[in-house]
Amino acid sequence: MTTVSGGGPGGATPLVRLRGLSKKFGDVAAVQPLDLDIFAGDFFALLGPSGCGKTTLLRMVGGFTPPSTGTVEIDGQDVTRLGPEQRPTNMVFQGYGLFPHMTVRQNIGYGLRIAKASDAEIAERVGAIMTLVRIGELAERRPDALSGGQAQRVALARALVMRPRVLLLDEPLAALDLKLRKQMQEELRRIHQSIGGTFVFVTHDQGEAMGLANRIAVMEAGACVQEGGPEEIYLRPKTRFVSSFIGEANMLAGERRGGTVTLRAGIAFTDAGPDGPVVLVVRPEAIRLDGGTAGLGTTGRLDDVVFLGPYVRYRVTLASGEEIAAHSADTGRRAGMAVGAAVQIGWEAADHRVVAGT
Amino acid sequence: MARIAWGAYSGIIVLFMLTPLVLVVLFSFTDNALTNFPINAFSLHWYRILDANPEFWKAFENSLKVSLGVTLISTVIGTMAAMVLARWRERLANAALLALAAPVTLPALVIGIALLVFFNKVGVPLSLATVIAGHLVITQPFVILIVYARMVNFDYAAVDSARDLGASPWRAFWTVTFPIVSSTVIGAALIALAISLDDFIITFFTIGGGNTLPTFVWGKVRTYLDPSINAIGTILITLTVGSTAIALWISRYRG
Amino acid sequence: MIGPSGAVFLLLFVAPFAFLFVVSFWRKKMFVLEPDFTLVNYSETLADYGWPLAFTLMIAFAIAVLTTVLAFLFAYAIRFHAGRYANALLFVTLITLFGGYLVKIYAWKTILGTEGILNSALLTLGIVDQPLTVFIYNPGAVVVTLTHFLLPLAVLPVFASLRGVREAGLEAARDLGAGATRVFRDIVVPQCLPGIMAAFTFSFLIAAGDYVTPRYVGGPYTSMIGDFIEGQFSLRFDWPAGAAMSFTILGAGLAIIALVRWALGALRPR
Repeated sequence: MTTVSGGGPGGATPLVRLRGLSKKFGDVAAVQPLDLDIFAGDFFALLGPSGCGKTTLLRMVGGFTPPSTGTVEIDGQDVTRLGPEQRPTNMVFQGYGLFPHMTVRQNIGYGLRIAKASDAEIAERVGAIMTLVRIGELAERRPDALSGGQAQRVALARALVMRPRVLLLDEPLAALDLKLRKQMQEELRRIHQSIGGTFVFVTHDQGEAMGLANRIAVMEAGACVQEGGPEEIYLRPKTRFVSSFIGEANMLAGERRGGTVTLRAGIAFTDAGPDGPVVLVVRPEAIRLDGGTAGLGTTGRLDDVVFLGPYVRYRVTLASGEEIAAHSADTGRRAGMAVGAAVQIGWEAADHRVVAGT
Repeated sequence: MARIAWGAYSGIIVLFMLTPLVLVVLFSFTDNALTNFPINAFSLHWYRILDANPEFWKAFENSLKVSLGVTLISTVIGTMAAMVLARWRERLANAALLALAAPVTLPALVIGIALLVFFNKVGVPLSLATVIAGHLVITQPFVILIVYARMVNFDYAAVDSARDLGASPWRAFWTVTFPIVSSTVIGAALIALAISLDDFIITFFTIGGGNTLPTFVWGKVRTYLDPSINAIGTILITLTVGSTAIALWISRYRG
Repeated sequence: MIGPSGAVFLLLFVAPFAFLFVVSFWRKKMFVLEPDFTLVNYSETLADYGWPLAFTLMIAFAIAVLTTVLAFLFAYAIRFHAGRYANALLFVTLITLFGGYLVKIYAWKTILGTEGILNSALLTLGIVDQPLTVFIYNPGAVVVTLTHFLLPLAVLPVFASLRGVREAGLEAARDLGAGATRVFRDIVVPQCLPGIMAAFTFSFLIAAGDYVTPRYVGGPYTSMIGDFIEGQFSLRFDWPAGAAMSFTILGAGLAIIALVRWALGALRPR
């Protein structure tokens, strides 16, 4: 069982409490038993590669997939056995799931109509939400006459108009092109701030998770491997998987014996922990190419220099055959670097993490 | 619970659709004088009776002439029409398809009598040729609809590539376009064959004299329950179901 | 390229159909057609064949409703509940589509007849000791036979429209608070109205124009208009009367279809 400590406001009761929640499809464990707390006001990301179980987990929270074990509590109430129509959650579906035979206004008003709201109230709330997500001029359109970005906003409005305690979003931006995705990210943040709700979304894009969420749960093969704020996850990844999945990372193989880590690249330093194979993880932007620093370092051969606008990317091959990427914001310095020449690389011990494994 | 209910319902409907046809085939291989239980023995008795009947063979021959003619003509003209329609604007093409499909919606009785009155008026004597003409009215919509559905998703870049690589339009058609759509066209042809083989009502009004297999059956149903109908029925079912099944298999139809 | 098809459509469908309409205003004098413009054929149709007309519309309506409902449920089962059997069910539907019109009628006659399969099975099993006569030669037998014939034809358009209904839409509706019934009524049915209407239209018009089925399994009290229309052409040679009867049943049929379409419009979203 993976146990994850809550990272929310100290002592507050979580809005969503998952306890021992798991799902098996036949013999395949899509989600292994896990505990997770989501607090009111969170913008929470479930991040992982495709097939890691993140969508299944979200669907269990929404009530679309009955869990194999465990409970789902929302607002202190056990909702494990309730269907989606009885839960205080609403979902923005991947592919949106708009009703093709209804106009945008009818789509958004559908849930309120089911809830038997008065015509006046429906008109008022639908109008307000359309203003909030900026689709007022699309009211009488049908879904097949909407662009991807517009359909996304309609799906969002249709869920938000219900004033859910928790808004669930399944890969909300996956179907949009890069530029629209950036725009919608800003929109989602703005909307989250202006209504102050609790959003939980699923994504395979670490940039999206970092850009939107205040808390991230990283999932791998049905298990939650790390949960915390974006900075914590980026700077202090607990496993090799997390470090490689979140941002770019250099990995150097080595071994720990009696508190001393020796890397294959020929660097040794003290680091407490159990004996065994380890991987040293260090971000490209932490690598310096000037050598002669107080930190750790070695020499290698410079293989490639690429100018990428805000920074320059260097590729260095070490004597061990391992490759190191280094990013430097000092773009003027590349003039003095010759491809094929020997270079000194180094980093501060505070900037790396040592994780067990190979 | 719901699963069982849906499964049971589907099973009942499948039984309802298949049982009558299965019984026809089953009883065609007995020598029962009446089509009922108990079954006496397996026998080709009714097939031998048919074989000895020259009228049956004449009807069989007429059915083949009509159906093959209808299949050939409706496949060629229907495919040509579908290829043109596929390049029209969608709304215009849909309107044309709706109009072309109208004959399928109407009762065959009305089409049959309209053709009878019309042929009489313009002085065309009734024959197998008028039967073929009548069948075209109901088979060509199927060919057009089936081939059109394939052609609207056709990637014309493949044909353009062939032209770019030096193929003449004619050569590009036979080496690229046709091989790509041929399975659909063959599927459509077999559906046309099945419809034509099965048609009774339009044939009845446009044939004048003589018989096809369905009108031959009609003559027998009319008189009394002659179990040799089971044998003809089995032959018709084999031909129509066989060609439909082959059509589905070739065109990989999934609804 | 579209020319030959267009010619078939215009010369062999539109022209004969239009001419038949013209003939419905002509008169028959001494076995000769005489051009005229009279509504007598129509008034005689209503006067002489009022009951067969009304009966035909009623039984065709019953058959079309029954067929469409059975077809919808079957297509729904294939689309959402059949899983890996979906293709097999679809295959059965398609191969029975062209399984022989007359053969099917004959098959039902042999099943339902007094000395038929059903009775012989009941006798053999000892459930009855006398053959039952209630199975055949009544409107019920016509309903069963025509429903059997029309069912595959009705399943296909409904299934085609159900294929366009996406699961995400159904889940979204549940998420917004709709129970199973409301999802069905608000989301599933409205989206496949075109398929439902196509199935109903096919079934209704074909049933209303059929004459072979009522003649062979309907018995003396199942007088359907198609039977009389056919008689005008093969026995009485009164073509104008037959033409007028044909257009009367077609017109009445189309009016009822329009009415049904309008009634189903109530299911459209507000």
